[in-house]
Amino acid sequence: MKIQVKIIGYLINQTGFSEKELQIPAAITAEELLSMIKIPKEMPKIITRNGNAISPLDKLKEGDRVVIAPLYSGG
Amino acid sequence: MKGWTGNLLRINLSSRTFKKETFTEEFAKKWVGGRGFALKILWDELKPGIDPLGPENKLIVALGPIAGIAAPNTGKTVVAAKSPLTGGYGDGNLGSRVTINLRKAGYDLLIVEGKSEEPVYIMIEDEKVQFLSAQEIWGKGTYATLDWLYKKYGKGAGILTIGQGGEKKVLYSVIRSMEGRAGGRPGIGAVMGSKNLKAIVVKGSKEIPVADPEAIKKIGADDLRKVGEIDKKTGWSIQGTTGVLAWCNEVAALPVRNMRKTSHKDAWRIDGERLNAARVATYGCPHCTMRCGITILDKEGHQSELDYENIGMLGSNLEIFELAQVASLNYLCDDLGLDTISSGGVLGFYADAIDQGAIDGDFRFGDAEKAKELLKLAAYREGIGDFLAQGSMRMAQKIGKDSEAYAMHVKGLEISAYNCKFIPGMALAFATSAIGAHHKEAWIITFELKETARDSYGKEKAQKVIDLQRIRGGLFEFIVACRFPWIELGWELEHYPLYFNTITGLNWNLDDFWKVSDRIYALMKAFWAREFPDWDRSKDYPPKVWFDPANADKEGIIAGKILDLAKYDQLLDHYYKLRAWDSRGIPAKKTMKNLGLSQEAKELAKYNRLE
Repeated sequence: MKIQVKIIGYLINQTGFSEKELQIPAAITAEELLSMIKIPKEMPKIITRNGNAISPLDKLKEGDRVVIAPLYSGG
Repeated sequence: MKGWTGNLLRINLSSRTFKKETFTEEFAKKWVGGRGFALKILWDELKPGIDPLGPENKLIVALGPIAGIAAPNTGKTVVAAKSPLTGGYGDGNLGSRVTINLRKAGYDLLIVEGKSEEPVYIMIEDEKVQFLSAQEIWGKGTYATLDWLYKKYGKGAGILTIGQGGEKKVLYSVIRSMEGRAGGRPGIGAVMGSKNLKAIVVKGSKEIPVADPEAIKKIGADDLRKVGEIDKKTGWSIQGTTGVLAWCNEVAALPVRNMRKTSHKDAWRIDGERLNAARVATYGCPHCTMRCGITILDKEGHQSELDYENIGMLGSNLEIFELAQVASLNYLCDDLGLDTISSGGVLGFYADAIDQGAIDGDFRFGDAEKAKELLKLAAYREGIGDFLAQGSMRMAQKIGKDSEAYAMHVKGLEISAYNCKFIPGMALAFATSAIGAHHKEAWIITFELKETARDSYGKEKAQKVIDLQRIRGGLFEFIVACRFPWIELGWELEHYPLYFNTITGLNWNLDDFWKVSDRIYALMKAFWAREFPDWDRSKDYPPKVWFDPANADKEGIIAGKILDLAKYDQLLDHYYKLRAWDSRGIPAKKTMKNLGLSQEAKELAKYNRLE
């Protein structure tokens, strides 16, 4: 299935891209996506799907827009 | 007493006199420094009701025991006064070489009183204080002023200065230092200008007294290196604070069009990636190994140092999506000595009021050239600029026609660059910030989205705001250090008691710090309640437009959603109860007593009812 992935801030250094459409296996979890795009598990982050925060164990769906950002604290 | 110099310098501009005074160990331990010192001095020495722009107001420059010591990230200086913008307690902090130089000159605190008849600047060199003519620099921008002073005193001198905005007493003018640094959002620059004081220059040559100099030298140097290594490893400073812009756009928290909208399709044009790609230089504060001053060339070719707040408020909030133009507006604010956040808020409100038909004018969202013209007019108080110079609260009061609802401020201070029309806890953070709507004291958006339901108004959000106010608005503001290593890189809080204890010889833990924080928050609120005898909880509310269904996003992830007034009231109640303040948001008498503020409670009771 296809999802849109947007990477924010310094996490781009890990993935090497900031936004792209990805072809992924169906029913993959957010955590599995992180591993696919080389974002270390231990890096503090917030994952949102279509604007709402999700847990690493949540499964992704066709057409999702997944945004992965550092766990910002507001400067 | 180690860690503190134990000295303050009191300068009177009316009589051109100065006096070195000492403060007690009890004062040092009770208020620690920075914001704590400034607040206590202003509470004790200002009569309620004085004109903030009159000679009775006092300008405070305050440092703390950690300030200026080589450790992460100790180059910050607190500036404070009664605010002409809000009428309440006002302060700010900025990176400056004043931090190191004032401590080395032998002072933790500077109190500037009175008013000079002619424009002056003050030169402090250890025990020597000179009042010098500022005729040659009065009327100049901050960049030219800094250059003029650097030529005389060298780049190592600590300098605080104001621009034309401060000279003309624009109510949101700031104090500036080291090119890109600014502080004192609630008009502390105007207070300096009202005293005819263009600049303060400091050179110090003494040793800062420290309990264990060898230990702090090693710990400080090691930790500065480690913080730098973490920054390099994560790559945080590649985008610095501006990384958050793209995220705010994704989660509907970006200020767009006077905060009418929460995201924009063109936001990517001004995000951290584009900023980093345009970078020509990077600047930072003293004792910093994670420098965040990303500098690009503006439309006119000036170097302009940008952070997220600048871009959010002067860019997306005005619907200006050309980075070089945003940089131009930022450069102008810096040169003129205007606060970038409030400038973006004021121009956004002005464009909105014109849009709504509440006022005539030819400024439209997206018009960068007109925005430049308006900033200059505001700084010089010429034409419409005199109106804009008052800040959005007073502008709305004059315009009327329900414009107060969308004047985006709390207590008179314009809201920083986070649009909370559907982020209840962050709205509370802005509303309870002790100087008006500033993000520096608590920021809980990722917590709200990740750890709670976005639309909840539970006690845990109020508790989180308080926890962060203790750390950000308390600890970092009174030991006086930059919060960024902790906030952005996860540098553990436990490092700070270690620095503090090594420097002072005391044995404090974080709980000791939180007690000081709570004391300071209670007295900051008491300061407001003493100035405003009719104080009630409505002053701790965000703007009405955030509760207005007609203002809900029409599309996107929060379409149709806004803050709920009744639930916000509950959230505010949680906050007050957790702080043991009354239902008006004034600290209860018993609370003040428990925080060691019995005398202050007696004083407050002369002006306001205490429960």
